[in-house]
Amino acid sequence: MGRGYIVEDAVEKYLSKLCEQLAGPVTGLLIGQSSAQRDFVVMAIRTPQREESTAAAGNSVDKELVTEHARQVSRMLPGGLSVLGVFIITDTDAKDTLTTLRQLVFAVENLISSEHLWNPADDDVTDCVTLHVNPKTRKTVCRTFDVKDPKSTAKPADWRYQSGVCSSWATVSCCLNVNLSVPLPDNKTSTESMDECLKEGLTVWAHQIESGVCLIDGKKLPEDSELTAGQRRNVRQTYTAQLLITPDGQRLTDVVQQCGGSVSVRGAIHSRAFLHSNKPKAKLAEKLLKRDVVSTVATRVHMLLEELLTSGEQDQGSSRDKQKTEQLCLPRRIFCPVKVTGPVCVSDYQFSDEGLPEVIDRLKEMLDIDAAEEDLDTRQEVAAEVIESNVTAEPTVETVKAPEAKKNNYIGVAMAAAAALLATAASMLYLNDI
Amino acid sequence: MVVVDSDTTTILRVKGPLELKCQLDTTDAQLMRKVISRTFEDLRSQVKSESCVLAVCDSPVFIWPNKGVYATPEEISPTTPCEDIHQWIQTDEQESAGKRSAKKKSKKCLSASVINLRLMMEVTQPGPLSAPILSKTVQKSHFLTATLPMDCAVCTSCSDTIKDACERLLEALTHQLCEMEKVTLQHMRDTTVLVPEALHFLLPEPKGLVTVVYPAGASDSQLETQRKELHQQFELPDDRPYFRRANAYHFPNEPYKDGYLRNPHVVLTHPTLDNGKVYLVQGIYSYHHYMQDRMDDNGWGCAYRSLQTICSWFQQQGYVERPVPTHKEIQQALVDVGDKQTSFVGSRQWIGSIEVQAVLNQLLGITSKIMFVSQGSELASKGRELANHFLTEGTPIMIGGGVLAHTILGVTWSETTGQIRYLILDPHYTGAEDLQLITDKGWCGWKGPDFWDQTAYYNLCLPQRPKVI
Repeated sequence: MGRGYIVEDAVEKYLSKLCEQLAGPVTGLLIGQSSAQRDFVVMAIRTPQREESTAAAGNSVDKELVTEHARQVSRMLPGGLSVLGVFIITDTDAKDTLTTLRQLVFAVENLISSEHLWNPADDDVTDCVTLHVNPKTRKTVCRTFDVKDPKSTAKPADWRYQSGVCSSWATVSCCLNVNLSVPLPDNKTSTESMDECLKEGLTVWAHQIESGVCLIDGKKLPEDSELTAGQRRNVRQTYTAQLLITPDGQRLTDVVQQCGGSVSVRGAIHSRAFLHSNKPKAKLAEKLLKRDVVSTVATRVHMLLEELLTSGEQDQGSSRDKQKTEQLCLPRRIFCPVKVTGPVCVSDYQFSDEGLPEVIDRLKEMLDIDAAEEDLDTRQEVAAEVIESNVTAEPTVETVKAPEAKKNNYIGVAMAAAAALLATAASMLYLNDI
Repeated sequence: MVVVDSDTTTILRVKGPLELKCQLDTTDAQLMRKVISRTFEDLRSQVKSESCVLAVCDSPVFIWPNKGVYATPEEISPTTPCEDIHQWIQTDEQESAGKRSAKKKSKKCLSASVINLRLMMEVTQPGPLSAPILSKTVQKSHFLTATLPMDCAVCTSCSDTIKDACERLLEALTHQLCEMEKVTLQHMRDTTVLVPEALHFLLPEPKGLVTVVYPAGASDSQLETQRKELHQQFELPDDRPYFRRANAYHFPNEPYKDGYLRNPHVVLTHPTLDNGKVYLVQGIYSYHHYMQDRMDDNGWGCAYRSLQTICSWFQQQGYVERPVPTHKEIQQALVDVGDKQTSFVGSRQWIGSIEVQAVLNQLLGITSKIMFVSQGSELASKGRELANHFLTEGTPIMIGGGVLAHTILGVTWSETTGQIRYLILDPHYTGAEDLQLITDKGWCGWKGPDFWDQTAYYNLCLPQRPKVI
């Protein structure tokens, strides 16, 4: 019994348009939500071009590009939306294509899940979808792979178009305060060690969020109760969540440790998750919202540190007497609807020295969305501002500016950053390729 | 302090960790203390803020004590009596998160009922708010990370509302943070900080339940000065311990991790004799009997088990820290004092009151008096001595004679008629820790003078309570 994918009509139009392109194979990502019974595909996004792409390169599939694109896209998806799989539009032989698709889907899934700070749940769906479209015949072949099983083979799946797939999806959201601080090791206060320490701190915080109590519209609902029970069908529902946490009861580390300083992240974030309209349970709403809370904070911290690392900002070293404090603003979250009607949105992060045009450029390049400034929802978060008077002791406060806005190739920058960081680099994944 | 009266009182106990985190410049002790005090002040503000939430364990009830005592579900309001919360608490029998039906009221416990609450912080609030700022401070220093195990208990009477209870709980939490601050600063040395912990002690009426903050990891011997002060403060006698760690109040709904039954005698109805008075063991003991701990001592271990029950009393009253000894350890102790040959260890030989006295002395440092009766019928005339023992010492008595050993936990004795009954804990029981069965079948029960073999001689070991705090 294979999986069944219910796909927005708009995706069919999008894929058709891509078929009309004459140059080489076109790859891309399929975005949506999986559930135990059914899977929903809401968007398809073609892989963006690299600036230096040549005609020759256009004939083969750039695996690194596909996976890096998937990582960037995944960071722009609110809770409930994820990269479900990969599509390719090519008239190449089906068997070879399937092999390529299999490699891509495993690589994409591995890269994306390596960034997750939460533990996989027992009820997570681990099947990913691959779609092969022949541009001449328009024939589509849909297969799934279980990415938890390295030896899994292709299984057939249903691919069915429908209109208004997500038009009555429910939205759960909240505005949440983050307050974490971690010590920095003695004599190692560079950006790299800050990254490591923050990752540890974020993991502990993520665990607190995961084990926290979630109230929906002010009530603690039993896990298996239906969220939309008693509501009129096909009417869009929005819910507000509240999260209550307690710190970990056990403390295993030393009470007082030497340090070279400390780093903290303080402020508020807006979190949002979308739920399919097929009788979603309270448990699902809680899981998806909590994951979005964790990933929006982690993503922004990563983005900030990636910028610092690639722009070569280096710490001047710690000194015994002087206390130096730097304050950096995390970018704020902006939402953009996927369709003119329908609640489902994607999001992007705007650094303090960027304008909305940069956000629009990124939405176009990464998600192939044509948005206008008035479509963007900028009201959910207020841009952070560094307050000079906050700083203690020494007046040697330096506010490091967020890097300059780039009007050009975001995916190119992302690829460079990935290479510079050697972080779970796409190439590493191919060493483990099956 | 409110009296813990089991018929009308509910104890509300709130527990929850609070994180103590700050960066410390350890070269400046004054500044360090200021920073720590400021961090505690921040925690007190947190507890008094609107983000503070009290969650009733095993229920869908959440209370915001600083937001006009707002609660969810909506049936609960600030004027709801505390007792009503019981209806919302799920026991193992139910799955639903709703109210329990009126018929299924909870069994009446003999001790006060407890409602457990968890201290939580709400991290969400209505937006929009400012996006986060990452702040990096570079300075060679120290970082303090500790978890304060908040644990407060307040007693409420049946007329108290949730609003009253919350006020008192918040007061208790704030006060506890102040105590913890004091203890932390007091025991701070250079870069070592001892994390404070809270313990509850049930003092004799009318003082009731009292909470004390001790530095974690400090042993009872290190805390003697504190205990002296507490005894003075609460006007307690200075010859018995009330504030040792082992004396900490055991809340009725907390299971004991070791699985032994505690004080099975409390569920019994005591006999009424003309002008009779009941004299019982004081404090807590565990019931030790045949076949426990996977040790098959059926037929020979009764005196050993009685000795174990006695040892458990000394440990739980805080006189000793040593755990209850095993049969082998008991036998080894007798070899060590020269009373038995080395071949005794691992054997199934019986012991008597004299051996019990020797082991109590050797392993626990406890002295005991021996009482001898030449025939069982004489025991009926020992009422006064036994009553006095339970009054002044309050320890369980081991009695051995004929071929049996038992533990005497108390007597009911009439000074005028001389009638007497003995509260017996029988170590010959071989079954499971089933309180119902044990009391129904008399394994722990009141016996008359005919319980003893009228012609056999008996030795009683009466352990003496050390006069210390």
